[in-house]
Amino acid sequence: MKVTICIGSSCHLKGSRQIVEQLQYLVAENNLKDQVELGGTFCMGNCVNGVNVTLDDKLYSLTPETTKDFFEKEILPRVKKA
Amino acid sequence: MNNLCSDIGYVSVNKWGEQLCGDRVEIVEQGENSTVIVLADGMGSGVKANILSSLTSKIISTMMAANMKVEDCVSTIAATLPICAVRGVAYSTFTIVRIIENEEAEIIQYDNPFLILLRDGKFVEIPKTGTEIEGKMIYRSRIKLQENDFMVFTSDGAIHAGIGASLNFGWERKDIISFLEQMYDSSYTAKTFGTILLEECNHLYGGKPGDDTTVCVVKIRNRSQVNLMIGPPADRSDVNKMQSLFHSKEGKHIVCGGTTSTITAEFLHKPMVANLDYLDPEIPPTASIEGVDLVTEGVITISKVLDYAKDFLNDNETYSQWGYKRDGASLISRMLFEEATDINFFVGRAVNPAHQNPNLPITFNIKMRLVEELSECLKKMGKRIKVSYF
Repeated sequence: MKVTICIGSSCHLKGSRQIVEQLQYLVAENNLKDQVELGGTFCMGNCVNGVNVTLDDKLYSLTPETTKDFFEKEILPRVKKA
Repeated sequence: MNNLCSDIGYVSVNKWGEQLCGDRVEIVEQGENSTVIVLADGMGSGVKANILSSLTSKIISTMMAANMKVEDCVSTIAATLPICAVRGVAYSTFTIVRIIENEEAEIIQYDNPFLILLRDGKFVEIPKTGTEIEGKMIYRSRIKLQENDFMVFTSDGAIHAGIGASLNFGWERKDIISFLEQMYDSSYTAKTFGTILLEECNHLYGGKPGDDTTVCVVKIRNRSQVNLMIGPPADRSDVNKMQSLFHSKEGKHIVCGGTTSTITAEFLHKPMVANLDYLDPEIPPTASIEGVDLVTEGVITISKVLDYAKDFLNDNETYSQWGYKRDGASLISRMLFEEATDINFFVGRAVNPAHQNPNLPITFNIKMRLVEELSECLKKMGKRIKVSYF
């Protein structure tokens, strides 16, 4: 499973660093490093809705506050299914 | 004609408690590849010394640049300088370094500590001949220059550092030489190398310099070109033109900006791999594209580079950060300030609609101003800058 976080200017200002750090922490905490691949990308062309994160090509809009929720509701169930 | 150029940098500290520096460095260019550098140290300190050294350096550099004889310069100074009421003489010492076609240097010294030449990091004594002009002993030398020659010259504040306090007789020339040999690194800029020496002097003085101290360094190096692209072109149909011109340039290539790097990756048919390491929490991570030396985010990174550039021109305190860190802004700073002598900017004028949001501090105007200010700073560092807009 591949999670890509936008680290372009606009998303950076909206907090992509905090999101990256939270996800890195959560993935490590749950021992999912082999199953979840975290990656970065520059501008996805959707800055208005940033921070943009894609999970297997599906686009999500996150904020640092909703990251934990996203991990629990979107990433965890998929890992369990796989 | 060779591929050499000179990188000139100087730094000063004032005598403790003085607001003005009594030393003065004046640089005058003579055409593209020749330069006259004068370091003058006025007698006394404060306002008087400042006036004496300003007059001396300005007169000598202007006259030398106009190809007039040293004898004439010296007699002009002797006749012009105001006479000190206390000591009854008009007096300012000086060192003149004249770089000729970046191949030769003519060095003329009067009463300043003798210039130190490091060739590939090792001290080389320069032969000199003395002539008496108007009762002053003037030493002249002429040397061939080669890559990685560092010429270091100072006002006497450097050799007097620590006198009577941390050192009995001040910091002698031979000690300065071994210090410079130890600290030498060919990648240092003239300014950085000068700062290292000045810091040490200031340290020996215990942070309270007993005399104005100035260090000037001339580094001879090969020209090296760096190209930096930022922003997509205003007209999307110009993408190929802009990219082809950029990649056809000799030297290193830096691409700044998310959209810009995406376009570059498409143009080169190579994948872009973004990093996730936040080496500096303020600066977005870098990325890599095969065929490009460095890929970074745009506005935030460049504004940090601009901060570093302004500081470099000032007292160079942030060298301790950009000098070694691996974040995008530090990497760009090292490439632009240290490596490059010629920089080509490729600036795209497209307006990123997402950035025109009043909540974001990155509007189009800011981007344009950043590039303008940065190229001004780089020009002051002695770089040749070309900016092309698309």
